[in-house]
Amino acid sequence: MEPRARHEADRRLTWLAGGILLWGLAILFRLLDIQVLHHADYARLARQQQLRSIDIPAPRGTIFDRNHQPMAMSVPMDSVYVNPRRLPDLKIASEILASILSLDREELYGRMRWAAENRRGFLWVKRKITREEAERLRSLRLDWIEFQTESQRHYPAGSTAAHILGSVDHGERGNWGLEMSLDNLLRGRPGTARLLTDVKRRGIDSHLATEPRAGTPITLTIDERIQFTAERELDRAVRAHGAKTGSVVVMNPRNGEILAMASYPSYDPNKPLRKGEDPSSRINQAVSVPFEPGSVFKVVTLSAALETTNLRPDTIINCGNGAIKLFGRTIHEAKHGYGSIPMSLVLAKSSNIGAIQIGLRVGQEHLYEYVRRFGFGASTGIPLPYESTGTVRKLSRWGKTSLPSVAMGHEISTTTLQLAQACSAVANGGLLVRPKLILERGGRPEPTVAPHRILAPETAILMRRMMEGVVIHPSGTGRRARLEGYSSAGKTGSAQIFDYAARHYTHSYNASFMGFAPVPNPAIVVVVTVNGTHGTAGFGGPVAAPVFKTVAQEALRVLDVPKDLPDEVPPEEGGPSGTEANDVAIAELADPAAVEEEIMPQAPSTAGVPQADGPRVPNFRGMSVRAVIAEASEKGLPVLLDGSGIARIQAPLPGSILQQGEHIRVQFAR
Amino acid sequence: MATLATFFRRPEVLTAPGTSIAEERAERDARVAADQFRLRALPNESVYLFSKKIDNSRLVREADPRARRECWSMIGGACLLIALLTCTLVPTVASTLAGYKLEALKQEQKRLVDERRILDLEEARLLSPSRLEELARGQRLISPAPGQVVHLDPNGDGSVAMNLEHR
Repeated sequence: MEPRARHEADRRLTWLAGGILLWGLAILFRLLDIQVLHHADYARLARQQQLRSIDIPAPRGTIFDRNHQPMAMSVPMDSVYVNPRRLPDLKIASEILASILSLDREELYGRMRWAAENRRGFLWVKRKITREEAERLRSLRLDWIEFQTESQRHYPAGSTAAHILGSVDHGERGNWGLEMSLDNLLRGRPGTARLLTDVKRRGIDSHLATEPRAGTPITLTIDERIQFTAERELDRAVRAHGAKTGSVVVMNPRNGEILAMASYPSYDPNKPLRKGEDPSSRINQAVSVPFEPGSVFKVVTLSAALETTNLRPDTIINCGNGAIKLFGRTIHEAKHGYGSIPMSLVLAKSSNIGAIQIGLRVGQEHLYEYVRRFGFGASTGIPLPYESTGTVRKLSRWGKTSLPSVAMGHEISTTTLQLAQACSAVANGGLLVRPKLILERGGRPEPTVAPHRILAPETAILMRRMMEGVVIHPSGTGRRARLEGYSSAGKTGSAQIFDYAARHYTHSYNASFMGFAPVPNPAIVVVVTVNGTHGTAGFGGPVAAPVFKTVAQEALRVLDVPKDLPDEVPPEEGGPSGTEANDVAIAELADPAAVEEEIMPQAPSTAGVPQADGPRVPNFRGMSVRAVIAEASEKGLPVLLDGSGIARIQAPLPGSILQQGEHIRVQFAR
Repeated sequence: MATLATFFRRPEVLTAPGTSIAEERAERDARVAADQFRLRALPNESVYLFSKKIDNSRLVREADPRARRECWSMIGGACLLIALLTCTLVPTVASTLAGYKLEALKQEQKRLVDERRILDLEEARLLSPSRLEELARGQRLISPAPGQVVHLDPNGDGSVAMNLEHR
């Protein structure tokens, strides 16, 4: 190459190299500018574009029944919103959305236009839409339709256990029942995550920013099947007798577990309370509404008598042929009075005069003490809102008529749940157990409050026998509570309802029945209350006892409790007869200043002691265990032995007639 | 070899040898006047190129071991560089791809969990005692009373005992 040409080439190369160097330097400076000098700004911009904050839902805790059947659960649902300022055409947008979401097009268009004119950047179109609607909208692939996941509470069993479960508002905050009282536990706390996305908004990587906390699942002691039966039978009874309200509680007397708690009227918790709607149907009658219990309260009076006096079931009580002079007045029993009858028959026939006589023997201090011991006038501690403690006036405020009134279940108010608690104490041998509604919280068993003794075991056994007489005695008021294949015991009650406006008792009744089954080893306690019945057919025997029968029968079947009696076809029951037909209210003791008095079922005065159609109970006292077993097996008698040593106590008492299905309980001690 | 004239099948643009430019232009103007809708001529439309076959089979490239070595060295170096780059980038790319997959799986998991909740709810709704009671009532099934004799289906189309409510 010629020197001139080489020089020219070198010059060009130098220029080229210089140009490349400048270009490189320019890039370098730009990189320095972007990555060093303005690093923070660009990093922030990049984060804004690439990082999305996404919610991690924490669904509200599910409520299960004791068989882990969901009774309340939340499921995610889509809600649709738009940014009105981003909408290409308001008319078209409102037409598309209204047609798919079944909305009023004009109304939606109006809302959109208002939002756009007011420069709003967010507008709910429809919240919690169905899956089909969400799929149809998504299939349109329109970027201006946006979705947000929300949670919707569902109660799959509808109105079943509605008063226990309660309901939630639009924000999923509990407003009734357990949903309200356990809201903090059930409500989850949603978390957030930072999601790194690409240009197509696809997720590349995510990091947890806030840990979500799911709502705690709750397992109830309720059995959905028993609950359904209780509600169905209560509904039928209330409708059939023209009553206003009612409640049923089914409880395990051993541990206090509530197996069912029905309340009438009921409601569907899936439907929120509308504006102006009467919320009275949402009140739990079993827990929140106290009432005068009436004759069922005689169980308390007689229990106190067995413990504080020398009265025994076979002690003769003078019922004064249906009249008693008290505080200068003569008080008459219903249509037919009784002469002198055993205390067990006072309960079976529900004699008012008899109960007054027994109450007078007990005395007001002891009666008051036992009323409190049975848990009346105090909260049961059940985790339901608005629990009523009932009314038990202080002893210092008792009037002269208070003792006989309380002995019959007046001047006192209780809830159905309190009655179930009291009845459980008799059924389980004298221990007051706290009603328990929650079996597990978050998979961990709920501790049980230790029961405490309120009755001696032998008192409880005697009370069970006497309550069994109410059901099995031919003229007992609880005949309709006889079960098929199981022995049962209980007590009826028919209390006049006090009209606070008119300050007198009306001819409407609180018909109730509290009982348990099977008698030798009670598995369930059932208390039925129907409020606002009328006439003789509205008493506890004809109204509440049949409900007890159906509910108890179904509960025992569901719980697989072994039968203790042979299956028999029960005799056909007609209308009210005998004792029940004579139920008439007595209001001589009525004191409008204090709630009072009750009416009683009456029986013909010819009614006598139980029929001697079974074997007589031998005297086991002083015998050894072996000797008792030998004698019982020789005579073919069923015995239940407890303890060791020498037989000290036995029930039934020696010489009494052993009823069908009844066991002889023998307590041994050294 | 194709030229514009052969490609557009317009052999008429070819002018006869010895035709002057003026004649050619006059002829073209006449054609254009005759056909108003005809496309105007493309640039170099009248140029025709013809290939000429030359036999180079007897030519042999001179062996140059040094150039070959340099060539292979270059190829080897490039391959090494590519391998190094690949090894450096593969984990990053794999991580990104795994991230995509992970996020997609997370979405899928969330969808399945939601779907399971919905199915659980549906199952609970279907098994609710009130619904079962309604179904049983629809089939006129009632609980037998103790001691009740239950007869087989009188229609004889089944072997199951039907305890039907009286119509």
